Amino acid sequence: MKRNVNLKVSFCGVDFPNPFCLSSSPVGNTYDMCARALDMGWGGVVFKTIGLDREVSITHPSPRLNAYHNLPYRVAGLQNVEQISDRSTKDNFADFARLKKDYPHKGLVCSIMGLTHADDWAELAKMGQDAGADMLECNFSCPQMTVEGTGHKVGQDAAIIEKLTSITKSACTIPVMAKMTPNVADMVPQALAAQAGGADAISAINTVKAISAVDVETCRPLPNIADRSSPSGFSGKAVKPIALRFVSDMAREPRLTIPVSGIGGIYTWIDAVEFLLLGATTLQVTTAIMQHGYRIVDDMIEGLEDYLIDHGHASVHDVIGKALPHLADPSMLSHETQVVSVIDHARCVGCGQCYLTCRDGAAQAITMNAERRPVVDEDACFGCLMCQHICPVRDCIGFKTVPHHLFKAVGSTGCHC
Amino acid sequence: MSGKKTTGVCTKPRMTLQHAIEEASRCLLCDDAPCSKACPGGTDPARFIRQIRFFNFKGAARTVLGNNPLGGVCAHVCPVEDTCVGACLRTGIDRPIDIDGLQRFAVEHGRQVGVKALFRGETARPERVAVVGAGPAGLTAAARLAGLGYAVTLFEARDAVGGMLRYGVPASRLSEADLGADVKEVLELGVEVRAGRRVEGKDGALALLDQGFAAVFVAPGLWKPHALPLPGRDLDGVTTALDFLALARTDAAQAAALVKDRNVAVVGGGSVAMDVTHVSRELGAKRIYAIALEGMNELPANDRELALAIEDGVVVMPQHMVKEIIGRGGKVTAVTGVETEWIEPGKLVPSNAREVEGTSFRLRAGAVVQAIGQGPTDAVRGLVVAATLKNGLLAADEATQATGVARVYAGGDVVRGAGTVIAAVGDGKRAADAIHEILSGRTEVAS
Repeated sequence: MKRNVNLKVSFCGVDFPNPFCLSSSPVGNTYDMCARALDMGWGGVVFKTIGLDREVSITHPSPRLNAYHNLPYRVAGLQNVEQISDRSTKDNFADFARLKKDYPHKGLVCSIMGLTHADDWAELAKMGQDAGADMLECNFSCPQMTVEGTGHKVGQDAAIIEKLTSITKSACTIPVMAKMTPNVADMVPQALAAQAGGADAISAINTVKAISAVDVETCRPLPNIADRSSPSGFSGKAVKPIALRFVSDMAREPRLTIPVSGIGGIYTWIDAVEFLLLGATTLQVTTAIMQHGYRIVDDMIEGLEDYLIDHGHASVHDVIGKALPHLADPSMLSHETQVVSVIDHARCVGCGQCYLTCRDGAAQAITMNAERRPVVDEDACFGCLMCQHICPVRDCIGFKTVPHHLFKAVGSTGCHC
Repeated sequence: MSGKKTTGVCTKPRMTLQHAIEEASRCLLCDDAPCSKACPGGTDPARFIRQIRFFNFKGAARTVLGNNPLGGVCAHVCPVEDTCVGACLRTGIDRPIDIDGLQRFAVEHGRQVGVKALFRGETARPERVAVVGAGPAGLTAAARLAGLGYAVTLFEARDAVGGMLRYGVPASRLSEADLGADVKEVLELGVEVRAGRRVEGKDGALALLDQGFAAVFVAPGLWKPHALPLPGRDLDGVTTALDFLALARTDAAQAAALVKDRNVAVVGGGSVAMDVTHVSRELGAKRIYAIALEGMNELPANDRELALAIEDGVVVMPQHMVKEIIGRGGKVTAVTGVETEWIEPGKLVPSNAREVEGTSFRLRAGAVVQAIGQGPTDAVRGLVVAATLKNGLLAADEATQATGVARVYAGGDVVRGAGTVIAAVGDGKRAADAIHEILSGRTEVAS
């Protein structure tokens, strides 16, 4: 079926058939893996980060992963202690060159990380370019590198980012993207530093340093690696809200003029659209693939196409950043109106969850009537909409906008504490 | 696994931990939950499901068994569509929560991890209390009284405790092991069992008071099968549901000899009749008929039981009446009868049924089982003379199970007629609490 929409995106002058890419991770570890993903429809790959094996031999701790489950749903998030590629530098670049030969029309990004010397970055950049990379991604952000002075320690330091970006950039002619760590209070200074060093794009976010679980029987944090564990990179569904925030922060920063590749908890086309609306141009995925396989790109592509068609857009570029004008500092939020909950008794099944949450977590504005139906006291309702969020029935609780009950021209802080 | 199975399955597979978590996650965790108000035995599904949801699995077992010492049994035998599951509000979204499945999980998982839910009262009370009948009501009362610290003696006429649960409910619905697990916990509270000891005679219950028991709970059940005075009822191969089901549990070979390779005509359309059809199927009967005066939508058996009968290939014959049992050489060979209709619609009593002309039928049958209910045995009639009603049932207060005779309480089927296990459990709880009220001096003994 020919559809009147094209998902092609242009990113730093590189054309991607669609914005969906593998992120630098186990899902893009070899030629075979990347080839299978590209065959299945992915628009590009960021090949698993390559270092110089003559300097440091990489091995991975085991077990490498631990999942954070929100039972009964599995894998709300995933913690890993994986390092950069443990394969030989030579094999990796050979695989990359073969990918370029076989998939010349996909977006092929080579992720690199210098381990001991600043010059490593230049050497790797050149090797990547020679292997045919369309772009480089500098991994400034892995939170669990066991090699001292690498990983997100680099990414937290704006001066080092600028220096290493500059070294990388001066060694090649292809676009360079700097991958940011979220393990900072504010990502903008680091992104600006990368831009100052010559970066052509930013990718964000790398994983969030975290502890996914503790085995309460053995008192061992997980993953338990021979009786020890480390806070390390956490990814997946649970990090998406954090990723959206950082991506939008950079997209809103007027001094930052380079584009962003969005990463963090993308599972569906809706997640993808959210990243695009908040300013991402390409999208990178790992955890969803680890959980469900490369096949999920089908639904991302079809869903994004439908979204663009349904909203009258011809190109992905039409929606990039479209939600950004609606973000503002909390001090700028209106306090003149508020909402009050409106509950549809015809849909309601009478479970009373809205009553409970309002009683114990909000305004005590809901009472249950004799027919087990919730009744909202609109004067008491302060419009948190928690009732809507927990209601198990689709479209049962909505809201209407009214003048703010407690509107005062001054004095409101907007604080939720 | 090939070929069409010949026997329906009447128990669900046991839930795994994972399945239980998934099912509990479907629960809406209602405020003032209807499921918890629907149980005649005071079970609080809303609480034990929430406990499972929040991974408090041990607490879930304590909630079930602490309220109802037969909580494991009830998870198997309760007609939940009429109680908790029937009240479930999740039905308004898609389908109700599998509450009985979760209850079974809670109990079995709890036992597996060593949860002890029943405890003997910390302060031993000086009084002895007698319980007559070790069925659901008696076992429940005994457990609760022991939990309150009383010395309890449980009199049981048969060789083993359990009452209808052991001698009436088919083993495929409630296994010996499942019954035994609940009973074991009750008896471990120090309840003294006197099995094979029938309490009988005029005011036999009062005699126990004279023997030094401070109170008596009378729950002997209903063990005299009703039988229609049909011509041919004395033929070989004609029996009653109670006798047949008890035989199936105590001597399966002999029960099989009655129905194997024979057509079986079951008279009745209630839960017990369906138990008979299912056991007959398990024991190798050929054709099985269930013949009832009620219309298809009026049958007393619930939907689950009827579905099982259909799965068993039972030929259900609503609005039919057996008029005669035919035999040859002293053995039953057939039944004859006629279709019926109600004279006054909706009035489901035999006297309201009238024959439909020109509809007589004859079925070949090698066995006939009458499953039309049961009443008190002669030994039970008069155990408490002042409380005995005309039909032999005992009168007892709805709130306290008090009979009107001081210190004598009654519950279970002997009070309410053939009822559910969980209703009997409720009686046992109420009686135990009322006895405690009086013996602990909180309530004056009515004279």
